[in-house]
Amino acid sequence: MSEQFRNRLMLAVALVLAAIYLFPLYWMYITALKTGSAMFATPPKFWPSEPQWRIYADVWQSRNMGRYLWNSLVIAFGSVALISVLGVGCAYVLARYRNVWVDIGLFLILMLQVLPASLMITPIFVGFSQFGLLDTPRFAVILAIAAKSMPFFVVLVRATFMSVPMELEEAALVDGNSRIGAFFNIVLPLARNGILVSAILIFMQAFGEFVYSKSMIQDIELQPASVGLNSFMGPNTNEWNNIMAYATIYVTPILAAFILLQRRIVSGLTSGALK
Amino acid sequence: MKRILSSVTDGKGFDIGLVVLPLGFLFVMSGLPLVYNVVMSFQEVDMFSLGSFARPFVGFRNYVDLFSQHETRPILFNTALFVVASIAGQFAIGFGLALFFWTNFPGASWLRGLFLVSWVMPGLVVGAIWNWILSGDFGVLNFLLRETGVIDGNIFWRSDPNYSLWAVIIANIWLGTSFNMILLSVGLSGIPKDLYEAAELDGANALQRFWTITLPMMRSTIGAIIALGLIFTLQQFDLFAAITSGGPNNTSNVTQYWAWDLSFRQYDFAKGATISVIMIVFVMFASVVYVRSTRHEVRG
Repeated sequence: MSEQFRNRLMLAVALVLAAIYLFPLYWMYITALKTGSAMFATPPKFWPSEPQWRIYADVWQSRNMGRYLWNSLVIAFGSVALISVLGVGCAYVLARYRNVWVDIGLFLILMLQVLPASLMITPIFVGFSQFGLLDTPRFAVILAIAAKSMPFFVVLVRATFMSVPMELEEAALVDGNSRIGAFFNIVLPLARNGILVSAILIFMQAFGEFVYSKSMIQDIELQPASVGLNSFMGPNTNEWNNIMAYATIYVTPILAAFILLQRRIVSGLTSGALK
Repeated sequence: MKRILSSVTDGKGFDIGLVVLPLGFLFVMSGLPLVYNVVMSFQEVDMFSLGSFARPFVGFRNYVDLFSQHETRPILFNTALFVVASIAGQFAIGFGLALFFWTNFPGASWLRGLFLVSWVMPGLVVGAIWNWILSGDFGVLNFLLRETGVIDGNIFWRSDPNYSLWAVIIANIWLGTSFNMILLSVGLSGIPKDLYEAAELDGANALQRFWTITLPMMRSTIGAIIALGLIFTLQQFDLFAAITSGGPNNTSNVTQYWAWDLSFRQYDFAKGATISVIMIVFVMFASVVYVRSTRHEVRG
Protein backbone atom coordinates (compact mmCIF):
# COMPACT_ATOMS: atom_id res chain seq x y z
CA MET A 1 0.00 0.00 0.00
CA SER A 2 1.64 3.20 -1.11
CA GLU A 3 1.91 6.20 1.16
CA GLN A 4 -0.25 8.32 -1.10
CA PHE A 5 -3.03 5.77 -1.30
CA ARG A 6 -3.05 5.41 2.48
CA ASN A 7 -3.29 9.17 2.93
CA ARG A 8 -6.20 9.42 0.51
CA LEU A 9 -8.01 6.56 2.18
CA MET A 10 -7.58 8.07 5.62
CA LEU A 11 -8.76 11.44 4.36
CA ALA A 12 -11.85 9.84 2.85
CA VAL A 13 -12.67 8.07 6.12
CA ALA A 14 -12.08 11.30 8.03
CA LEU A 15 -14.45 13.17 5.74
CA VAL A 16 -17.14 10.53 6.29
CA LEU A 17 -16.67 10.75 10.06
CA ALA A 18 -16.87 14.55 9.95
CA ALA A 19 -20.01 14.35 7.81
CA ILE A 20 -21.69 12.02 10.31
CA TYR A 21 -20.65 14.18 13.22
CA LEU A 22 -21.77 17.42 11.61
CA PHE A 23 -25.06 15.99 10.36
CA PRO A 24 -27.13 17.80 13.04
CA LEU A 25 -25.81 21.12 11.71
CA TYR A 26 -26.67 20.11 8.15
CA TRP A 27 -30.13 19.11 9.30
CA MET A 28 -30.64 22.55 10.84
CA TYR A 29 -29.75 24.31 7.59
CA ILE A 30 -31.88 21.97 5.47
CA THR A 31 -34.94 22.02 7.72
CA ALA A 32 -34.98 25.80 7.67
CA LEU A 33 -35.41 25.76 3.89
CA LYS A 34 -38.23 23.21 3.79
CA THR A 35 -41.89 24.02 3.35
CA GLY A 36 -44.35 23.21 6.10
CA SER A 37 -45.40 19.97 4.46
CA ALA A 38 -41.97 18.85 3.25
CA MET A 39 -40.77 19.14 6.82
CA PHE A 40 -43.15 16.41 8.01
CA ALA A 41 -42.80 14.12 4.97
CA THR A 42 -42.07 10.44 5.50
CA PRO A 43 -39.49 9.45 4.41
CA PRO A 44 -37.80 12.80 5.10
CA LYS A 45 -36.08 14.51 2.18
CA PHE A 46 -32.37 15.05 2.64
CA TRP A 47 -32.34 17.82 0.05
CA PRO A 48 -35.03 20.50 -0.09
CA SER A 49 -36.93 20.34 -3.38
CA GLU A 50 -38.26 23.91 -3.23
CA PRO A 51 -36.02 25.91 -0.88
CA GLN A 52 -37.84 28.71 0.93
CA TRP A 53 -35.26 31.47 1.03
CA ARG A 54 -37.83 34.00 2.20
CA ILE A 55 -38.06 32.28 5.57
CA TYR A 56 -35.04 34.11 6.98
CA ALA A 57 -36.55 37.54 6.38
CA ASP A 58 -39.93 36.34 7.66
CA VAL A 59 -38.55 34.90 10.90
CA TRP A 60 -36.29 37.92 11.39
CA GLN A 61 -39.36 40.15 11.24
CA SER A 62 -41.94 38.06 13.04
CA ARG A 63 -39.66 37.19 15.97
CA ASN A 64 -38.11 40.66 16.08
CA MET A 65 -34.68 39.08 15.95
CA GLY A 66 -32.82 42.33 15.51
CA ARG A 67 -33.67 43.30 19.07
CA TYR A 68 -32.72 39.88 20.48
CA LEU A 69 -29.38 39.78 18.68
CA TRP A 70 -28.62 43.35 19.70
CA ASN A 71 -29.16 42.40 23.35
CA SER A 72 -26.93 39.35 22.91
CA LEU A 73 -24.24 41.59 21.44
CA VAL A 74 -24.53 44.10 24.28
CA ILE A 75 -24.21 41.34 26.86
CA ALA A 76 -21.34 39.62 25.05
CA PHE A 77 -19.34 42.81 24.43
CA GLY A 78 -19.95 44.04 27.96
CA SER A 79 -18.77 40.77 29.47
CA VAL A 80 -15.67 40.58 27.27
CA ALA A 81 -14.74 44.19 28.05
CA LEU A 82 -15.13 43.72 31.79
CA ILE A 83 -13.31 40.39 31.80
CA SER A 84 -10.44 41.69 29.67
CA VAL A 85 -9.89 44.81 31.77
CA LEU A 86 -9.85 42.84 35.01
CA GLY A 87 -8.43 39.53 33.83
CA VAL A 88 -5.37 40.47 31.77
CA GLY A 89 -3.52 42.08 34.67
CA CYS A 90 -4.40 39.22 36.99
CA ALA A 91 -3.13 36.64 34.48
CA TYR A 92 0.06 38.64 34.00
CA VAL A 93 0.93 38.69 37.69
CA LEU A 94 0.05 35.02 38.12
CA ALA A 95 2.36 34.17 35.20
CA ARG A 96 5.25 36.35 36.34
CA TYR A 97 5.69 35.08 39.88
CA ARG A 98 6.22 31.66 41.39
CA ASN A 99 5.39 31.41 45.05
CA VAL A 100 2.87 30.02 47.49
CA TRP A 101 0.53 32.96 47.08
CA VAL A 102 0.38 32.51 43.34
CA ASP A 103 -0.37 28.82 43.83
CA ILE A 104 -3.17 29.65 46.25
CA GLY A 105 -4.56 32.30 43.89
CA LEU A 106 -4.50 29.88 40.96
CA PHE A 107 -6.18 27.18 43.02
CA LEU A 108 -8.96 29.54 44.07
CA ILE A 109 -9.43 30.68 40.49
CA LEU A 110 -9.63 27.11 39.21
CA MET A 111 -12.19 26.32 41.89
CA LEU A 112 -14.35 29.29 40.91
CA GLN A 113 -14.17 28.21 37.27
CA VAL A 114 -16.19 25.07 37.92
CA LEU A 115 -19.24 26.44 39.72
CA PRO A 116 -22.32 25.60 37.62
CA ALA A 117 -24.26 28.70 36.60
CA SER A 118 -27.62 27.08 37.27
CA LEU A 119 -26.61 26.48 40.89
CA MET A 120 -25.06 29.92 41.42
CA ILE A 121 -28.04 31.77 39.98
CA THR A 122 -30.18 31.31 43.11
CA PRO A 123 -27.94 33.30 45.52
CA ILE A 124 -26.90 35.73 42.75
CA PHE A 125 -30.52 36.48 41.89
CA VAL A 126 -31.58 37.03 45.49
CA GLY A 127 -28.49 39.10 46.28
CA PHE A 128 -28.76 41.21 43.14
CA SER A 129 -32.44 41.89 43.73
CA GLN A 130 -31.66 43.06 47.27
CA PHE A 131 -29.06 45.52 45.98
CA GLY A 132 -31.34 46.75 43.22
CA LEU A 133 -29.12 45.46 40.44
CA LEU A 134 -32.06 43.79 38.73
CA ASP A 135 -33.33 47.23 37.70
CA THR A 136 -30.57 47.16 35.09
CA PRO A 137 -30.90 43.49 34.16
CA ARG A 138 -28.45 43.41 31.24
CA PHE A 139 -25.75 44.93 33.43
CA ALA A 140 -26.58 42.36 36.13
CA VAL A 141 -26.16 39.55 33.59
CA ILE A 142 -22.84 41.03 32.44
CA LEU A 143 -21.58 41.06 36.03
CA ALA A 144 -22.67 37.45 36.57
CA ILE A 145 -21.12 36.24 33.31
CA ALA A 146 -17.90 38.10 34.08
CA ALA A 147 -17.64 36.38 37.45
CA LYS A 148 -18.35 33.04 35.84
CA SER A 149 -16.01 33.27 32.84
CA MET A 150 -13.12 35.32 34.16
CA PRO A 151 -11.32 32.35 35.76
CA PHE A 152 -11.27 30.53 32.40
CA PHE A 153 -9.96 33.67 30.71
CA VAL A 154 -7.25 34.12 33.34
CA VAL A 155 -6.09 30.52 32.91
CA LEU A 156 -5.90 30.88 29.11
CA VAL A 157 -4.17 34.27 29.12
CA ARG A 158 -1.75 33.19 31.84
CA ALA A 159 -0.53 30.45 29.49
CA THR A 160 0.11 33.16 26.88
CA PHE A 161 2.07 35.37 29.28
CA MET A 162 4.18 32.38 30.30
CA SER A 163 5.47 32.20 26.73
CA VAL A 164 6.57 35.86 26.74
CA PRO A 165 10.25 35.87 27.79
CA MET A 166 10.84 37.75 31.02
CA GLU A 167 14.21 38.97 29.70
CA LEU A 168 12.49 41.28 27.23
CA GLU A 169 10.64 43.01 30.03
CA GLU A 170 13.77 43.25 32.15
CA ALA A 171 15.64 44.80 29.24
CA ALA A 172 12.92 47.42 28.93
CA LEU A 173 13.21 48.20 32.64
CA VAL A 174 16.98 48.60 32.32
CA ASP A 175 16.39 50.98 29.43
CA GLY A 176 14.48 53.24 31.78
CA ASN A 177 10.89 52.13 31.31
CA SER A 178 8.63 52.11 34.33
CA ARG A 179 6.74 48.91 35.18
CA ILE A 180 3.61 50.36 33.61
CA GLY A 181 5.54 51.40 30.51
CA ALA A 182 7.13 47.97 30.13
CA PHE A 183 3.79 46.27 30.62
CA PHE A 184 1.95 48.31 28.01
CA ASN A 185 4.77 48.71 25.47
CA ILE A 186 6.50 45.33 25.62
CA VAL A 187 4.48 42.59 27.31
CA LEU A 188 0.97 43.39 26.12
CA PRO A 189 1.86 43.67 22.40
CA LEU A 190 3.71 40.35 22.56
CA ALA A 191 0.75 38.60 24.20
CA ARG A 192 -1.83 40.29 21.96
CA ASN A 193 -2.75 37.24 19.89
CA GLY A 194 -3.31 34.97 22.85
CA ILE A 195 -5.44 37.57 24.60
CA LEU A 196 -7.47 38.11 21.44
CA VAL A 197 -8.20 34.40 20.99
CA SER A 198 -9.21 34.04 24.64
CA ALA A 199 -11.45 37.08 24.33
CA ILE A 200 -13.11 35.56 21.26
CA LEU A 201 -13.76 32.31 23.14
CA ILE A 202 -15.31 34.26 26.01
CA PHE A 203 -17.35 36.27 23.52
CA MET A 204 -18.76 33.09 21.96
CA GLN A 205 -19.72 31.74 25.37
CA ALA A 206 -21.34 34.99 26.45
CA PHE A 207 -23.17 35.30 23.12
CA GLY A 208 -24.93 31.99 23.77
CA GLU A 209 -25.40 32.40 27.51
CA PHE A 210 -28.80 31.31 28.75
CA VAL A 211 -29.28 30.60 32.48
CA TYR A 212 -28.46 34.04 33.85
CA SER A 213 -30.36 35.91 31.14
CA LYS A 214 -33.40 33.67 31.46
CA SER A 215 -33.54 34.14 35.22
CA MET A 216 -32.69 37.81 35.58
CA ILE A 217 -34.14 39.53 32.50
CA GLN A 218 -37.94 39.64 32.68
CA ASP A 219 -38.46 42.46 30.20
CA ILE A 220 -38.76 40.99 26.69
CA GLU A 221 -37.25 44.18 25.24
CA LEU A 222 -33.95 43.36 26.94
CA GLN A 223 -33.75 39.59 26.44
CA PRO A 224 -30.95 38.04 24.35
CA ALA A 225 -31.36 35.63 21.44
CA SER A 226 -30.94 32.48 23.57
CA VAL A 227 -33.97 33.39 25.69
CA GLY A 228 -35.85 34.34 22.53
CA LEU A 229 -35.16 30.90 21.05
CA ASN A 230 -36.34 29.27 24.25
CA SER A 231 -39.65 31.12 24.24
CA PHE A 232 -40.05 30.31 20.54
CA MET A 233 -39.90 26.58 21.33
CA GLY A 234 -43.12 25.98 23.21
CA PRO A 235 -43.80 22.46 24.50
CA ASN A 236 -45.89 21.40 21.50
CA THR A 237 -44.44 23.44 18.71
CA ASN A 238 -44.56 22.34 15.09
CA GLU A 239 -42.93 25.36 13.49
CA TRP A 240 -39.64 23.56 13.18
CA ASN A 241 -38.63 25.21 9.92
CA ASN A 242 -39.04 28.64 11.53
CA ILE A 243 -37.17 27.58 14.64
CA MET A 244 -34.33 26.19 12.56
CA ALA A 245 -34.25 29.41 10.54
CA TYR A 246 -33.97 31.34 13.80
CA ALA A 247 -31.18 29.01 14.94
CA THR A 248 -29.42 29.44 11.58
CA ILE A 249 -29.42 33.22 11.82
CA TYR A 250 -28.25 33.04 15.42
CA VAL A 251 -25.46 30.54 14.98
CA THR A 252 -24.04 31.17 11.50
CA PRO A 253 -21.94 34.23 12.46
CA ILE A 254 -20.40 32.25 15.33
CA LEU A 255 -19.64 29.31 13.05
CA ALA A 256 -18.12 31.58 10.40
CA ALA A 257 -15.88 33.26 12.96
CA PHE A 258 -14.88 29.89 14.33
CA ILE A 259 -13.96 28.41 10.95
CA LEU A 260 -11.91 31.49 10.02
CA LEU A 261 -10.00 31.48 13.29
CA GLN A 262 -10.11 27.74 13.84
CA ARG A 263 -6.40 27.02 14.08
CA ARG A 264 -5.75 29.79 16.61
CA ILE A 265 -8.80 28.99 18.70
CA VAL A 266 -7.98 25.29 18.93
CA SER A 267 -4.36 25.89 19.87
CA GLY A 268 -5.29 28.58 22.38
CA LEU A 269 -7.88 26.34 23.96
CA THR A 270 -5.59 23.34 24.25
CA SER A 271 -2.74 25.34 25.74
CA GLY A 272 -4.96 26.63 28.50
CA ALA A 273 -7.28 23.80 29.37
CA LEU A 274 -4.65 21.25 30.35
CA LYS A 275 -2.05 23.59 31.76
CA MET B 1 1.61 59.47 49.38
CA LYS B 2 4.24 59.96 46.74
CA ARG B 3 5.89 56.68 47.69
CA ILE B 4 2.62 54.81 47.30
CA LEU B 5 2.03 56.45 43.94
CA SER B 6 5.45 55.56 42.60
CA SER B 7 5.08 52.04 43.92
CA VAL B 8 1.86 51.70 41.93
CA THR B 9 3.48 52.87 38.70
CA ASP B 10 6.85 51.25 39.22
CA GLY B 11 7.07 48.58 41.88
CA LYS B 12 5.35 45.91 43.88
CA GLY B 13 2.25 48.06 44.14
CA PHE B 14 1.75 47.64 40.41
CA ASP B 15 1.47 43.86 40.70
CA ILE B 16 -0.66 44.01 43.81
CA GLY B 17 -3.02 46.47 42.18
CA LEU B 18 -3.38 44.26 39.13
CA VAL B 19 -4.25 41.23 41.24
CA VAL B 20 -6.33 42.73 44.01
CA LEU B 21 -8.93 44.32 41.77
CA PRO B 22 -9.96 41.14 39.86
CA LEU B 23 -9.71 38.95 42.95
CA GLY B 24 -11.87 41.43 44.81
CA PHE B 25 -14.39 41.34 41.99
CA LEU B 26 -14.41 37.54 42.03
CA PHE B 27 -14.77 37.54 45.80
CA VAL B 28 -17.80 39.83 45.67
CA MET B 29 -19.44 38.16 42.65
CA SER B 30 -18.62 34.49 43.32
CA GLY B 31 -17.36 34.14 46.86
CA LEU B 32 -20.12 36.07 48.61
CA PRO B 33 -22.91 34.31 46.64
CA LEU B 34 -21.37 30.99 47.70
CA VAL B 35 -21.58 32.02 51.35
CA TYR B 36 -25.03 33.53 50.87
CA ASN B 37 -26.15 30.25 49.31
CA VAL B 38 -25.17 28.33 52.44
CA VAL B 39 -26.90 30.91 54.63
CA MET B 40 -30.12 30.73 52.60
CA SER B 41 -30.15 26.94 52.83
CA PHE B 42 -30.62 27.33 56.59
CA GLN B 43 -33.32 29.99 56.27
CA GLU B 44 -36.95 30.16 55.38
CA VAL B 45 -37.13 32.14 52.14
CA ASP B 46 -40.39 33.00 50.44
CA MET B 47 -41.65 35.71 48.16
CA PHE B 48 -42.27 38.09 51.06
CA SER B 49 -38.91 37.74 52.80
CA LEU B 50 -36.99 37.82 49.51
CA GLY B 51 -36.10 41.49 49.92
CA SER B 52 -34.92 41.44 53.52
CA PHE B 53 -31.80 39.94 55.04
CA ALA B 54 -33.42 39.10 58.37
CA ARG B 55 -35.18 35.86 57.64
CA PRO B 56 -36.09 33.22 60.22
CA PHE B 57 -33.46 30.52 60.62
CA VAL B 58 -34.83 27.01 60.47
CA GLY B 59 -31.72 24.91 61.09
CA PHE B 60 -31.52 21.80 58.96
CA ARG B 61 -35.21 21.74 58.10
CA ASN B 62 -34.65 22.49 54.41
CA TYR B 63 -32.26 19.56 54.15
CA VAL B 64 -34.63 17.22 56.00
CA ASP B 65 -37.58 18.34 53.88
CA LEU B 66 -35.58 17.89 50.72
CA PHE B 67 -34.62 14.31 51.44
CA SER B 68 -38.12 13.35 52.52
CA GLN B 69 -39.52 14.45 49.15
CA HIS B 70 -40.36 11.46 46.98
CA GLU B 71 -38.80 12.90 43.81
CA THR B 72 -35.41 13.49 45.42
CA ARG B 73 -34.09 9.96 45.06
CA PRO B 74 -35.02 9.49 41.37
CA ILE B 75 -33.52 12.87 40.52
CA LEU B 76 -30.26 12.06 42.26
CA PHE B 77 -30.21 8.76 40.42
CA ASN B 78 -30.89 10.54 37.13
CA THR B 79 -28.00 12.90 37.80
CA ALA B 80 -25.63 10.01 38.41
CA LEU B 81 -26.83 8.21 35.27
CA PHE B 82 -26.58 11.40 33.22
CA VAL B 83 -23.03 12.05 34.39
CA VAL B 84 -21.77 8.49 33.96
CA ALA B 85 -23.41 7.86 30.59
CA SER B 86 -22.40 11.26 29.18
CA ILE B 87 -18.78 10.94 30.26
CA ALA B 88 -18.54 7.34 29.06
CA GLY B 89 -19.98 8.21 25.66
CA GLN B 90 -17.98 11.39 25.19
CA PHE B 91 -14.77 9.76 26.28
CA ALA B 92 -15.14 6.55 24.25
CA ILE B 93 -16.08 8.31 21.01
CA GLY B 94 -13.61 11.12 21.64
CA PHE B 95 -10.76 8.70 22.28
CA GLY B 96 -11.60 6.70 19.16
CA LEU B 97 -11.60 9.82 17.02
CA ALA B 98 -8.41 11.12 18.63
CA LEU B 99 -6.62 7.83 17.90
CA PHE B 100 -7.87 7.91 14.32
CA PHE B 101 -6.71 11.48 13.67
CA TRP B 102 -3.42 10.72 15.39
CA THR B 103 -2.38 8.58 12.40
CA ASN B 104 -1.61 11.93 10.81
CA PHE B 105 -2.56 12.38 7.18
CA PRO B 106 -2.81 15.61 5.19
CA GLY B 107 -5.73 17.67 6.44
CA ALA B 108 -6.01 15.76 9.73
CA SER B 109 -5.52 18.69 12.09
CA TRP B 110 -7.86 20.98 10.17
CA LEU B 111 -10.65 18.40 10.04
CA ARG B 112 -10.11 17.58 13.69
CA GLY B 113 -10.53 21.24 14.61
CA LEU B 114 -13.74 21.39 12.60
CA PHE B 115 -15.36 18.97 15.06
CA LEU B 116 -15.14 21.66 17.70
CA VAL B 117 -18.07 23.57 16.16
CA SER B 118 -20.36 21.52 18.40
CA TRP B 119 -18.59 23.06 21.37
CA VAL B 120 -18.71 26.72 20.33
CA MET B 121 -22.41 26.69 19.44
CA PRO B 122 -24.84 28.12 22.00
CA GLY B 123 -26.26 25.28 24.11
CA LEU B 124 -29.80 26.38 23.35
CA VAL B 125 -29.23 25.97 19.61
CA VAL B 126 -27.74 22.50 20.08
CA GLY B 127 -30.76 21.64 22.20
CA ALA B 128 -33.19 22.97 19.58
CA ILE B 129 -31.56 20.95 16.80
CA TRP B 130 -31.58 17.73 18.81
CA ASN B 131 -35.12 18.39 19.95
CA TRP B 132 -36.14 18.32 16.28
CA ILE B 133 -33.91 15.35 15.36
CA LEU B 134 -35.31 13.34 18.28
CA SER B 135 -38.96 14.21 17.72
CA GLY B 136 -41.24 11.18 17.78
CA ASP B 137 -43.23 11.01 14.56
CA PHE B 138 -41.09 13.09 12.23
CA GLY B 139 -37.65 12.89 13.78
CA VAL B 140 -34.84 11.95 11.45
CA LEU B 141 -33.14 9.74 14.05
CA ASN B 142 -36.21 7.51 14.33
CA PHE B 143 -36.30 7.34 10.54
CA LEU B 144 -32.65 6.25 10.32
CA LEU B 145 -33.08 3.69 13.09
CA ARG B 146 -36.19 2.27 11.40
CA GLU B 147 -34.52 2.05 8.02
CA THR B 148 -31.52 0.24 9.45
CA GLY B 149 -33.84 -2.12 11.31
CA VAL B 150 -32.70 -1.25 14.81
CA ILE B 151 -36.23 -0.41 15.96
CA ASP B 152 -39.68 -1.41 14.72
CA GLY B 153 -41.83 1.47 15.97
CA ASN B 154 -41.04 5.10 16.65
CA ILE B 155 -39.42 5.96 19.95
CA PHE B 156 -40.93 9.03 21.55
CA TRP B 157 -37.63 10.25 22.89
CA ARG B 158 -38.86 13.38 24.63
CA SER B 159 -42.17 12.18 26.05
CA ASP B 160 -41.49 8.50 26.87
CA PRO B 161 -40.36 8.29 30.53
CA ASN B 162 -38.00 5.45 29.62
CA TYR B 163 -36.14 7.49 27.03
CA SER B 164 -36.45 11.16 28.03
CA LEU B 165 -33.20 11.22 29.99
CA TRP B 166 -31.43 9.41 27.14
CA ALA B 167 -32.57 12.09 24.72
CA VAL B 168 -30.58 14.65 26.70
CA ILE B 169 -27.67 12.24 27.14
CA ILE B 170 -27.41 11.71 23.37
CA ALA B 171 -27.35 15.46 22.76
CA ASN B 172 -24.82 15.97 25.53
CA ILE B 173 -22.53 13.26 24.18
CA TRP B 174 -22.61 14.97 20.78
CA LEU B 175 -21.86 18.31 22.39
CA GLY B 176 -18.91 17.13 24.48
CA THR B 177 -17.23 14.55 22.25
CA SER B 178 -15.24 17.08 20.26
CA PHE B 179 -13.78 18.75 23.34
CA ASN B 180 -12.70 15.37 24.70
CA MET B 181 -11.17 14.49 21.37
CA ILE B 182 -9.13 17.70 21.13
CA LEU B 183 -7.73 17.35 24.64
CA LEU B 184 -6.95 13.67 24.10
CA SER B 185 -5.18 14.56 20.85
CA VAL B 186 -2.96 16.96 22.78
CA GLY B 187 -2.13 14.18 25.22
CA LEU B 188 -1.40 11.69 22.42
CA SER B 189 0.93 14.07 20.60
CA GLY B 190 2.95 14.38 23.82
CA ILE B 191 3.96 10.72 23.81
CA PRO B 192 7.52 10.31 22.47
CA LYS B 193 7.52 8.48 19.13
CA ASP B 194 10.67 6.46 19.85
CA LEU B 195 8.81 4.48 22.51
CA TYR B 196 6.65 3.03 19.76
CA GLU B 197 9.60 2.37 17.50
CA ALA B 198 11.36 0.49 20.27
CA ALA B 199 8.23 -1.54 21.03
CA GLU B 200 7.78 -2.34 17.36
CA LEU B 201 11.36 -3.60 17.13
CA ASP B 202 10.65 -5.82 20.11
CA GLY B 203 7.71 -7.29 18.21
CA ALA B 204 4.76 -5.75 20.11
CA ASN B 205 1.57 -5.61 18.06
CA ALA B 206 -0.75 -2.61 17.84
CA LEU B 207 -3.00 -3.75 20.69
CA GLN B 208 -0.05 -4.45 22.99
CA ARG B 209 1.45 -1.06 22.16
CA PHE B 210 -1.87 0.58 23.03
CA TRP B 211 -2.12 -1.18 26.42
CA THR B 212 1.49 -0.87 27.46
CA ILE B 213 2.47 2.52 26.05
CA THR B 214 -0.49 4.71 25.08
CA LEU B 215 -2.72 4.12 28.08
CA PRO B 216 -0.04 4.40 30.79
CA MET B 217 1.46 7.48 29.17
CA MET B 218 -1.97 9.09 28.96
CA ARG B 219 -2.86 8.48 32.59
CA SER B 220 -2.71 12.06 33.84
CA THR B 221 -4.42 13.40 30.70
CA ILE B 222 -7.22 10.89 31.07
CA GLY B 223 -7.62 11.76 34.75
CA ALA B 224 -7.86 15.45 33.92
CA ILE B 225 -10.36 14.84 31.11
CA ILE B 226 -12.65 12.65 33.22
CA ALA B 227 -12.63 15.27 35.97
CA LEU B 228 -13.30 18.03 33.43
CA GLY B 229 -16.10 15.90 31.96
CA LEU B 230 -17.66 15.58 35.41
CA ILE B 231 -17.44 19.35 35.86
CA PHE B 232 -18.95 20.07 32.45
CA THR B 233 -21.79 17.56 32.67
CA LEU B 234 -22.76 18.94 36.06
CA GLN B 235 -22.86 22.38 34.44
CA GLN B 236 -25.13 21.24 31.62
CA PHE B 237 -28.38 23.14 31.86
CA ASP B 238 -29.25 24.48 28.42
CA LEU B 239 -29.95 21.07 26.90
CA PHE B 240 -32.50 20.25 29.60
CA ALA B 241 -34.19 23.59 29.09
CA ALA B 242 -34.30 23.08 25.32
CA ILE B 243 -35.20 19.38 25.03
CA THR B 244 -37.30 18.02 27.92
CA SER B 245 -37.54 20.73 30.63
CA GLY B 246 -36.95 17.90 33.08
CA GLY B 247 -40.16 16.14 32.12
CA PRO B 248 -42.22 14.08 31.73
CA ASN B 249 -42.89 13.78 35.45
CA ASN B 250 -39.26 14.46 36.44
CA THR B 251 -37.97 11.38 34.59
CA SER B 252 -35.32 13.49 32.88
CA ASN B 253 -34.76 15.91 35.72
CA VAL B 254 -31.30 16.32 37.20
CA THR B 255 -30.17 18.29 40.24
CA GLN B 256 -28.75 21.28 38.40
CA TYR B 257 -32.03 21.77 36.52
CA TRP B 258 -34.13 20.97 39.56
CA ALA B 259 -32.36 23.61 41.68
CA TRP B 260 -33.20 26.24 39.08
CA ASP B 261 -36.73 24.92 38.67
CA LEU B 262 -37.39 25.11 42.42
CA SER B 263 -36.07 28.65 42.65
CA PHE B 264 -37.47 30.22 39.52
CA ARG B 265 -40.56 28.16 38.70
CA GLN B 266 -41.83 27.30 42.17
CA TYR B 267 -40.21 30.30 43.92
CA ASP B 268 -38.86 28.05 46.66
CA PHE B 269 -35.50 29.79 46.89
CA ALA B 270 -34.50 28.05 50.12
CA LYS B 271 -34.86 24.59 48.55
CA GLY B 272 -33.05 25.72 45.43
CA ALA B 273 -30.20 26.99 47.60
CA THR B 274 -30.16 23.73 49.54
CA ILE B 275 -29.67 21.62 46.42
CA SER B 276 -27.09 24.09 45.17
CA VAL B 277 -25.06 23.69 48.34
CA ILE B 278 -25.09 19.90 48.08
CA MET B 279 -24.13 19.90 44.39
CA ILE B 280 -21.46 22.58 44.74
CA VAL B 281 -19.72 20.39 47.32
CA PHE B 282 -19.69 17.61 44.71
CA VAL B 283 -18.35 19.89 41.98
CA MET B 284 -15.66 21.26 44.29
CA PHE B 285 -14.57 17.69 44.93
CA ALA B 286 -14.30 17.03 41.20
CA SER B 287 -12.33 20.19 40.67
CA VAL B 288 -9.84 19.22 43.37
CA VAL B 289 -9.27 15.99 41.43
CA TYR B 290 -8.86 18.02 38.25
CA VAL B 291 -6.44 20.51 39.79
CA ARG B 292 -4.41 17.69 41.33
CA SER B 293 -4.11 15.81 38.06
CA THR B 294 -2.82 18.90 36.26
CA ARG B 295 -0.83 20.18 39.20
CA HIS B 296 2.63 19.45 37.88
CA GLU B 297 1.72 21.40 34.76
CA VAL B 298 0.25 24.28 36.75
CA ARG B 299 3.48 24.69 38.64
CA GLY B 300 5.43 24.31 35.45
